[in-house]
Amino acid sequence: MPLTKSPFSIGKRFRLVGVLAVSLLLSACASTTAGNEEAPGNGDPLEGLNRMVFSINLAADFVIVRPVAELYRTVIPAPGRKAVVAFLRNLESPVVLANDILQGNIPRAGNTTARFLINSTLGLAGIFDVAAKMGFPRHSEDFGQTLGVWGMGEGFYLVLPAFGPSSLRDAFGLGVDYYMDPLRYWAKDTDQERLMLARTAVRGIDARARSIETLDEIERSSIDFYATVRSLYRQQRQSEIHNGEVPSLPVLPDFSLDDPDDDETALLSDD
Amino acid sequence: MRIIAKTLFAVFIIGLAFRPAFADETHEAKMFVASLGDNAIKVLARSELPKEERTNEFRRILTTGFDMHLIGRYVLGRYWRRASPVERSEYSALFQEFIVLTYANQLSQYDGQTLKIKTAREDGEADVIVRTEIIQAGGPPIRVDWRVRSKDETFKIIDVVVEGISMVITQRDQFASVIERAGGKVESLLVELRTRTQ
Repeated sequence: MPLTKSPFSIGKRFRLVGVLAVSLLLSACASTTAGNEEAPGNGDPLEGLNRMVFSINLAADFVIVRPVAELYRTVIPAPGRKAVVAFLRNLESPVVLANDILQGNIPRAGNTTARFLINSTLGLAGIFDVAAKMGFPRHSEDFGQTLGVWGMGEGFYLVLPAFGPSSLRDAFGLGVDYYMDPLRYWAKDTDQERLMLARTAVRGIDARARSIETLDEIERSSIDFYATVRSLYRQQRQSEIHNGEVPSLPVLPDFSLDDPDDDETALLSDD
Repeated sequence: MRIIAKTLFAVFIIGLAFRPAFADETHEAKMFVASLGDNAIKVLARSELPKEERTNEFRRILTTGFDMHLIGRYVLGRYWRRASPVERSEYSALFQEFIVLTYANQLSQYDGQTLKIKTAREDGEADVIVRTEIIQAGGPPIRVDWRVRSKDETFKIIDVVVEGISMVITQRDQFASVIERAGGKVESLLVELRTRTQ
């Protein structure tokens, strides 16, 4: 069940930024309690609102996003889609590099730099990911992950309009990444801010196109789709923050099968 | 000082003595996951099998290779204690069938993937985590970690973690949500599971 990053994401970051700046103040308070991803309760105090936004996103997905993603997949052959995503990812390199450095991860910063140099030149402005074949595999970084590496918890779960599953921390990170992006300043100077929007939209459509079957399968097999997506999002972010090296799986205590009272089960409660 | 030095030395020697045992355990756990994977692929590769037989084969592999009872209890989490004995036994049966039906369908899309065993390490007192990769044509390898517990001289899988996503945690979070939204009634989950396993 391979999961594509942020399956629902498509949309614009612009208007969110103001809201997110305020959110950071809140998350500073929240982070103290949620240093470990396992927040008390379900860590979703806005669940009612989140479920509503989730439904709206699903409706928008059904009406617009998914059909466009399917069209995109039908019209543009696989090599073309691969070139599109490689090109867009290459453009994101400066933001990834900044986060590598902020996380103090020098090997990864070197890797990102090498990838950017190789793919921008030999990869013909990034449309071919030749660096990956030369032993420089791609990795994702964003400011939400950086905050996670710095020890900040997610704050609480948040479903963003259009962007989909997120959290206070990650939504704020999205805003910071946007402001870090040199491309934004270039676009602003040359009056081509629409390009930024187009890039985000194409990224979203491409991500959605790659996750059609996976998401269908998750939805089909879920009893509570919202709760499943929330769980998957959190685990995926946790895994990304640890760069795939999950330190240890949560403890599964052994049960004595002949003990009907199961007092050990108390260990399992997560509050 | 000498006592400390002696104690340290003793601990060191004892440590050495235990190391081969650990190494054996992780090695055996790897072998266990490898053979389970081989068996599963043998079944999956037989595309001529009718759907029902395939599901039965999958059920057999799941019940022999996985500690479904333990997984089910962990997935129900704190609600296991609140469940009545009748609810518990019905839940255990329904949970197993729910997992069989959920994953048998996903595995029917088998397309020549192979399982590559990577490393294994001890985790906690009783568990070994075996790291593997599913190698597929036309895509990057998928990282799969198997949490294996040895019990009574046999191994049982108690969790599967795909690209950092644990099957147990995902199901536990979902089940907790279903029950909480119904005001904490375990029966509400049973109703859902009954519908889905019919």
